[in-house]
Amino acid sequence: MNTNNHATFLTISAYLTGFSETDLLGTGMVDPYYAAIRDNNDPEVLGYFYQEAATILADSHGDEAEINEAIAARLIPDSCYNGIAKTIILLWYTGNYGNDVLSTDSYKEALVWNVAGAHPPGAKQPGYGSWALPPFSV
Amino acid sequence: MKCDEYDVVIVGSGIAGSVMAKTLTRAGKKVLLLEAGLQAGIAMDKEGAYQNYQFYLDTYYKAAAKVPNSPYPNLPDAPSPDVLDIAPIPNSCSPSTKGYLVQAGPIPFASDCYRGPGGTTLHWLGSTPRMLPNDFQMQTKYGVAVDWPFTYYDLMPYYEMAENEIGIAGDVKEQIGPDVEPVKNYGKDYVFPMQKIPQSYLDQTIIEITNGKTVTVELNKKEYTISYVATPQGRNSIPEPAYKYAGVAWNKKTQKLELEKTDAEYDPVGSLWDPYTGQRCEGNSSCVPICPVQAKYNALKTLRTADHDNLDIITQAVASQVLYDKGSMDITGIEYKKYRYGNSPIYEKGIAKGKIYVLAASAIENAKLLLASGIANSSDQVGRNLMDHMVMLTWGLLPKKGFPYRGPGSTTNIPTFRDGDFRKEHAAWISPIDNWGWAWPTFAPGSDVSNAVGQGMFGKQLRDHLSDIIPRQLLLHFECEQLPEPGNRVTIDPRYKDQLGNYRPVIHYNASEYMQRSFEAAKKVSDQLYKAYNVQDFTSYSAQNPDHVQYKGKVYNFAGAGHIVGTHRMGSDSNSSVVNPDQRTWDHGNLYLVGCGNMPTLGTSNPTLTMTALTYKAAEAILKQLEN
Repeated sequence: MNTNNHATFLTISAYLTGFSETDLLGTGMVDPYYAAIRDNNDPEVLGYFYQEAATILADSHGDEAEINEAIAARLIPDSCYNGIAKTIILLWYTGNYGNDVLSTDSYKEALVWNVAGAHPPGAKQPGYGSWALPPFSV
Repeated sequence: MKCDEYDVVIVGSGIAGSVMAKTLTRAGKKVLLLEAGLQAGIAMDKEGAYQNYQFYLDTYYKAAAKVPNSPYPNLPDAPSPDVLDIAPIPNSCSPSTKGYLVQAGPIPFASDCYRGPGGTTLHWLGSTPRMLPNDFQMQTKYGVAVDWPFTYYDLMPYYEMAENEIGIAGDVKEQIGPDVEPVKNYGKDYVFPMQKIPQSYLDQTIIEITNGKTVTVELNKKEYTISYVATPQGRNSIPEPAYKYAGVAWNKKTQKLELEKTDAEYDPVGSLWDPYTGQRCEGNSSCVPICPVQAKYNALKTLRTADHDNLDIITQAVASQVLYDKGSMDITGIEYKKYRYGNSPIYEKGIAKGKIYVLAASAIENAKLLLASGIANSSDQVGRNLMDHMVMLTWGLLPKKGFPYRGPGSTTNIPTFRDGDFRKEHAAWISPIDNWGWAWPTFAPGSDVSNAVGQGMFGKQLRDHLSDIIPRQLLLHFECEQLPEPGNRVTIDPRYKDQLGNYRPVIHYNASEYMQRSFEAAKKVSDQLYKAYNVQDFTSYSAQNPDHVQYKGKVYNFAGAGHIVGTHRMGSDSNSSVVNPDQRTWDHGNLYLVGCGNMPTLGTSNPTLTMTALTYKAAEAILKQLEN
C-alpha cells in the first residue's frame, strides 16, 4: 500500500464528503474504498489526482475555506482526473461504484442513510416502534 | 408418505396453496403439493431455512435495483415476471418480449409476482385492509362491473380465519371511512390478534401539519373531509390480550371450518429458523422486498405448520398440463416437468394424481395453465378481466422534516375516496402514505446524491443539502381500482415458450377512460392536499415512461401495485364465470381454483387478505366434497 496516498485518500475523503476522518474510519470502509479506487482507475491519472489532492491539503495549512475552494476548482470539474473526486463521493454516500453495489458492507455503510436520519433498509434496524419517534441522531 | 393417489393435489406453495395444504392436512387429508421453485427455498429445518434466507438477504444487499423480486432467484425453468423488464411496446404486432411476460400492450402490465416457495408473500408489503361491503355490489350500487356471488357479510367468518392465520396487527376501533364502521364491518367486540403497528413519525407529521384543522378537498363539486386510518397489517406487534382465537379447524359434525377459542394469549409467529426472532417488527424498512427477521408474515410460516405426516411436497416441479377425461370431464392428473437444477433444460415428466385438484399458482399462472390445457373455459372467461391497482404517485417536499425511510412501507392510509357515488364515473382509490420517501418514483435517496454531486456539490454543503431535502420527502399513492374488462387478459401463443417448453403468458393491457378519469380526479385531490399541507410538489410525469396515459392533454404515469387479480373470475352462473361461489370450476367437478384470480372485482384493498379468506371458503367446500 502506498501509505502517502492512503493518508491522502482519507483526508481528502473527509473534505469531499463533509464527514470527519473519525466518522469515515468508523465505517470500516476506508481500506476497501481505497482499493476500489486504486483497482478501477488508470494508475497514472490516479497518481496525478493524489498529487494534486496532497498539494491542496499542504498548501492551505488546514484552512477549510481555502481547501474547499481549491477542491471545487481543481478536483471536482469533470475535466479533472477522470472524475475521480465525484466517484469517491458517490462511493462513500451510496456504497456503489458506478451502478454496482461494491459489497454488502458498502451497502450497509452508505453515508446517505446517516444524513437522512435513517438506516440502510434491511440492516441496522433501530427496533420496534422506533419509526414513530424522531430519529435517534436528531 | 408417498402414495399413488392423494386426496388433493395442490399446485403452488404461495399463501393460497399453503393455507389450503395446512387446512386439509390438519383435517386428515393426504395432500401432494407441487412447487415450481427451488428445493432450497422450501427448507423447513432451521439450519436450511436460515441459510437459504440469508442468501436471499445477501442477494438483496448486492442488488443494484432493489425491486420486489431482487432477492429471489429468477429461474429459466420457472421464470418470474419482473418490473425491471417493463419496456415500451412498439405496436401490438411486435410485443415486448424483454422479460418473462410477453407484453402485447398497448400499455405494459406494470406488476410482478414471485414464482417460488412461499410465493409473492415473500415480497408483499403486508397491508391487510378488508374490502368494503359495497365493493361486493359494484353493479347493483354503481352500475359498473359485476356483483360478487355473495356479500361481504357472507365472507366475514373467513376474513376472521385469514386474520388469524396471517397474524394481523391493527385496531378495529380505528377503522373508519366511507362504508366502514367498526361494528358493522367487523362485528361487536372483534379485535385483531395484535395491537396496531405504531404510525410513523412521518404520518404524525402530516396528520398534525394543519394544527388540528380538518382538511377538506373538493371533487366533482362535492366536499370531502380527509381522514386517516392506521392500516391493519400482517406483521408482528404486541399481542392483543382480548384476542381469544387459537386457529382454524375442521368441524366434522357441522361440516364447517371454525376458529377455535383459547384462553392463551396470542403468540406472534417468529421466523422459520428461530421462534424468538421476528416476534416484533424491528423497523428494517425493507418489507418489500424482504423482511430480514420475518416479522412480516410469509406463506412458509403457514406451510411449516401443516401436518407434514399428511403432506408430500415435490419441488422444482412445474405444472405443464391438467389432464381430464373427455367423457366425465373429471380431472385425471396434473402433468409436471421436474427439472434437475435452476438453469437446467433437462427434466423428467411426472403425473400427480388425486381425487381433487387445486390450482394455486397465481392469477397469471393459473389462467395460463388452464388455457394450455384447454379446460375450464366454457364461459370464455379464462384469462380475461386481468386487474391491478393502477398506482398514480405524487411526491413533494414537506415544510418540515418527517424523516421517511423508517419503519414499514406504509402505516397510515387516507380512506376518503375508497367509496362513493363517483364510482359510477371513475375509479375509487385508497391513498397509503408512503414511509419510504421518493424511493419508488425517483430511486431516491441514491438519485438525490447523484443529482447533487452532478451539480458539483461536495463536503459540508452536500451533507447539509441532503440532510435538508431527504427527511422532508413525501410520497402519496393513489391506488385506483381497475374494473374487470374482457380485453385486459392473459393469453398464450405457441411462438412464446420458456426453456422447458411451457407457455409464457401473453398480456394484453390498457387503461380505460374510467381509469383515466380517476387519475385526473386523484391529481386534483393531490393538488389540494399538497396545498393544505404546504408541500412543494415535485411530481413529474413523462410520456417516456412506458406506463403512461394521456387524458385531456395531460400525461399521467402509473405503477403496478402487484395486486394481480381477476383472471378466472368467480360468479353465480356458468356462462359468465369460471368458478362457482365455492371456487370450483363450473366445467370440472373435481377442479378448484384459488388465489386472486377468483376475485370478480378488486375494491381498494390490498387483495391478499380477501384472497386468503376466499381460500378458507374453498377449503371448506373441498372438505365437504371429500367427506360426502
